[in-house]
Amino acid sequence: MERNPLRRQLQMMRKSFFDQGYLDDQFVQLEELQDEANPNFVEEVVTLYYRDSSRLILSIEQALERKPFDFNKLDAYMHQFKGSSSSIGAKKVKAESTLFREYCKSGNKEGCMRCFQQLKKEYATLRKKLEAYFQLARQAGPMETACRPK
Amino acid sequence: MTMEEKMGVSSREDDGKDQFPNGMRVLAVDDDPICVEVLENLLRKCRYQVATTNQAITALKMLRENRNRYYLVITDVNMPDMDGFKLLELVGLELDLPVVLLSAHSDTELVMKGITHGACDYLLKPVSSEELKNTWQHVVRRKKPDSKDQIFAENRDKAQGGTGEVGQTLMSSSDKKFIKERKDQIEDEEDEGDDNEDENEDPSTQKKPRVV
Repeated sequence: MERNPLRRQLQMMRKSFFDQGYLDDQFVQLEELQDEANPNFVEEVVTLYYRDSSRLILSIEQALERKPFDFNKLDAYMHQFKGSSSSIGAKKVKAESTLFREYCKSGNKEGCMRCFQQLKKEYATLRKKLEAYFQLARQAGPMETACRPK
Repeated sequence: MTMEEKMGVSSREDDGKDQFPNGMRVLAVDDDPICVEVLENLLRKCRYQVATTNQAITALKMLRENRNRYYLVITDVNMPDMDGFKLLELVGLELDLPVVLLSAHSDTELVMKGITHGACDYLLKPVSSEELKNTWQHVVRRKKPDSKDQIFAENRDKAQGGTGEVGQTLMSSSDKKFIKERKDQIEDEEDEGDDNEDENEDPSTQKKPRVV
């Protein structure tokens, strides 16, 4: 199959993301949008996601510290966060966002705070994994040349 | 006239090169930059021509300035400057364009709200290219089933009528014209089609056998 050892490693890494539930099928949608005209599309979108969502995370953190607790505002932030996380296929992060929304709807402040801590952990873990993945991809070199049958 | 010409591609300010639904002009609205980026690329993959904006107010401006330009609007429901439902109402009222709603939530109440406000579809984020591939159908479905002729008649009216009138729905002269044309067409078909069920004809004068 894949003779290049770096490429093989890359494939295994990618597979583990799906097997361990970090990414879902939407990530594949992004990969399918990547082509010669748009060779770094996936990395660009993911980078954009981390840049934009870190702002959101900060806003949510500040909102969680404010008194009185504004569940509506939190819900609105989380709606956007869920939307962009799901757009890149961030499965675990998306699941935590859904849970957070449930706590908001039921007015459960403790639940929101606990859930948010977990969400941040998942978010950071995924970021590290994806950064390592793209770095390896750059080392492995472009894929399009020999192996892809058309 | 071919079907594609009837689709009104040539009556919109257009390149005329692409056959509908290829090249169909879509306006995508979402305040989230990641969603806009992904959506734009997915729509391009479907071979639509895409314009995007992250503000509902800008979207309205773009649509009002060029009434014949866009075939379809795809918009997020949750936006800071104006919510998607409001945008949907205004687009429907003033411009009568099909609107597809996008949301990260699929609560029944929200979907219901979308449909009752006139959305022709409500998609859950993240959308896939499969879902968007057939979204052109909403342009064809817009008024009634098998309304291909109507789209042509409307586009002809729009092209001739210029900017149209704000607030006036299309339940007006173009609809009446359509109804008349359709009626005439049906009557012509009935005159020609002798092998149809002639229920109103005098059965004793049936000379031709019924086609089953």
